[in-house]
Amino acid sequence: MKTVYWLQAGGCGGDTYSLLSSDFLDVNALFNTLNIDLLWHPSLSSLSHTSHRKMVDQITSGKIELDILVVEGAIICGPAGTGMFDTLNGRAKKELFHLLAHQAQVVVALGTCAAFGGFGVDHAIEATGLQFRKKEKGGALGAGFRAKSGLPVINLAGCPCHHDVIAGTLMALAGDTPLELDKFQRPLEWYSTMVHQGCTRNEYHEYRIEESDFGEMGCLFFHMGCAGPLVPGPCNKLLWNRHSSKPRAGVPCFGCTDPDFPRAISFFHTPNIEGIPLELPRGVNRAHYMVYKGMAAEAAPDRLKKRSSKV
Amino acid sequence: MSQIIKGLNIPVNRVEGDLEVRVDVVDHRIDNAWSAGTMFRGFESMMVGRGPLDGLVITPRICGICSLTHLSAAVTALDSITGITPPDNAIRLRNIALIAETIQSDMRQAILMYMADFTNAQAYRHHPLFKEAVDRYQMLKGTSVLEVIRKTKRLIEVIAIIGGQWPHTSFMVPGGVTSIPDTAKLMQCRLIIEQFKEWFESRVLGCTMERWQAVSSFKDLENWLGESPCHRNSEVGFFLRFAWKAGLDTFGRGTDNYISFGNFPFPRHTGVVPLNQINDKDEPGKRQNLVLTAPGFATGITPRPLDPTKITEDVSAAWFEQEKTTLHPFDGITRPYASGSSGEKYSWVKAPRYNSVPAETGPLAEMIMDKVPLFHDMIQQKGASALIRQLARMVRPASLLPAMGTWLNELMTHRDAPFYTSVKSIPDGEGAGMVQAPRGALGHWVKIKNRKISHYQIITPTAWNGSPRDKNKHPGPWEKALKGVALKNLENPVEAGHVIRSFDPCMVCAVHTLKKDGTPHKKFHTGWTF
Repeated sequence: MKTVYWLQAGGCGGDTYSLLSSDFLDVNALFNTLNIDLLWHPSLSSLSHTSHRKMVDQITSGKIELDILVVEGAIICGPAGTGMFDTLNGRAKKELFHLLAHQAQVVVALGTCAAFGGFGVDHAIEATGLQFRKKEKGGALGAGFRAKSGLPVINLAGCPCHHDVIAGTLMALAGDTPLELDKFQRPLEWYSTMVHQGCTRNEYHEYRIEESDFGEMGCLFFHMGCAGPLVPGPCNKLLWNRHSSKPRAGVPCFGCTDPDFPRAISFFHTPNIEGIPLELPRGVNRAHYMVYKGMAAEAAPDRLKKRSSKV
Repeated sequence: MSQIIKGLNIPVNRVEGDLEVRVDVVDHRIDNAWSAGTMFRGFESMMVGRGPLDGLVITPRICGICSLTHLSAAVTALDSITGITPPDNAIRLRNIALIAETIQSDMRQAILMYMADFTNAQAYRHHPLFKEAVDRYQMLKGTSVLEVIRKTKRLIEVIAIIGGQWPHTSFMVPGGVTSIPDTAKLMQCRLIIEQFKEWFESRVLGCTMERWQAVSSFKDLENWLGESPCHRNSEVGFFLRFAWKAGLDTFGRGTDNYISFGNFPFPRHTGVVPLNQINDKDEPGKRQNLVLTAPGFATGITPRPLDPTKITEDVSAAWFEQEKTTLHPFDGITRPYASGSSGEKYSWVKAPRYNSVPAETGPLAEMIMDKVPLFHDMIQQKGASALIRQLARMVRPASLLPAMGTWLNELMTHRDAPFYTSVKSIPDGEGAGMVQAPRGALGHWVKIKNRKISHYQIITPTAWNGSPRDKNKHPGPWEKALKGVALKNLENPVEAGHVIRSFDPCMVCAVHTLKKDGTPHKKFHTGWTF
């Protein structure tokens, strides 16, 4: 039996709605079968406020063991560091967050806002992630923070986080399966391949068949701002809601698992020099890549140039 | 001597985001109510200076449960700036996805959020239907809860097929949509919708949608309920039996003003008929600007045409800086003013007003604009109530599912027709995206200048419903609806919860909301809940 407390901070609730689409285990089965005791979830609990308060007191005083703290949404510190833009019973919610984080065996930052600050990092609300502020380690808990189990915050990036990643992480934590993390503390299990991997437009990418407008079947990387080759994530491997992904449906990947999401420059546009993106697929050698793409475009088959495939 | 309790604070969970309501109670009756969100997220100011299309990516992220509706308001504003009407197939695809989102929201709100209060043992253990309510609605275990989790998840697959994922896709773009599903996927959509309709009819209504549409008066409703065990045991039937016994039809009236922006614009060629023409044969069938659910403003049950210039936001009771107290959203700004103090200001939600009066929005407002006979009759007989508002939400899918099916069939017939008109760049200009979100009227007011967003104002449904007082001291709709509500047990004010939840509050959407520490009533501050 593992206890879970789910705190909603500065966010939209989208990760909870993503989780409701969990399919391998329905969300109810996820909690019931894994023997997870969901102490509190803001949308899925019917505990009275009085009982909830008592429970929080018992957790923060150590009378109830807290195994997993899930935080959805950014920690809001504004105005002027007070946190009063997000309150609970007249107190800054970030205070409750700190109390809970220091009691938990494991702390999970669910979604990019919780992981890296996301929307509002550079704005009046002074949002920050739990242990990162964008790429910079620190965040609300500080760079040296370790939960009681010794683990740093586990960052489940994404806006929202993929439902199977949330479910998978809960399964791993419920069964004490270790999760290896990358330098931004995202589990490699889901964040070691690029979003690009598995995209149905890959063949177009391969031969550099580029689109510069919506509604076509080719690759969206070169002109339309697609971040699929730049950021990690399982969108095209696990698929969303059993069926698809944004790039498959002609919507560029916005790079929502990246610590800098949302990027400062306009979406739907790839910054480039002479048609070559400023930022190339992760890890490639620029000179080699340009030669390769030039040759690939020459070698492109007609069926792709004519977009004669169905997808 | 009267027992007077002032400034009791009532936090509300199971709403999107955080909400606290403060009430004065005289002799176990709410004498006055103030509503305040407790979070400020400042989305509007994030938009200024960004690229013209960025609203399509950023605004859906305001809300996890109705992100497509924000996308649709954002794209409608841009469509109006470009002046390009999207092709028929684009309109069909947008509408189908939006209807799927609306229906999942209605079903989840009803079963997961609203009915959970019927399992409140302290309030209802002596209610004759209490045990059955627990069997149905217990969190993550109740039979109805499990069904709704499974069925809504399936319906959402339609959105993923059309737009890639849910929540938070951006497949609607100026000029249309980014892709059209192949025929095999459209066939899957048809099956998903068909299966959902079967479940909705057999379990939620307990009868066919046609039979339900024949229920056209309060008397009919009573007869319908007595007609068969299927009706009595359906979700709607059980809700009615539980709610009548608990008196939910006797409180929560509200302002009697209703507003809807209307939604689901028609393709040029379609077999779908606007709902108000189905319900009112005299309604003139103009072929221009046809929409499925009608826009309008109504006092009581008399709808009038909507005049968008009459919409203003009032900051008399809200902590925002603005040169004039009331401004149209094309002129308004969102600048939190977090210092100073005056007795007038107590909330961090702006107060949207229509022609200077507050108005409620949501499914009930739609039923009034669309002249649905059952709801017109119920309101004429007893006035609005928590029960009527919630009933409107539960049965709304019966009005939307047939149109969804028709548009899908039309897509399959015209699969090869265009779904996108190229829009090379967004010109400077201004446009409004006024749509009807699951929770009611949603507007995005956008200005583009020098290829950048220069102005972005959003008025959400919850801002209408949960608004504070205005310069005329008129309370917002749910503040008004709470006045006079009897609280049987002050320790467990479940009745107030029924009223507020009947408006389906979504506080993450009330993007202006902000609460400042130390309200004028702080000394009476007591933590309460529903």
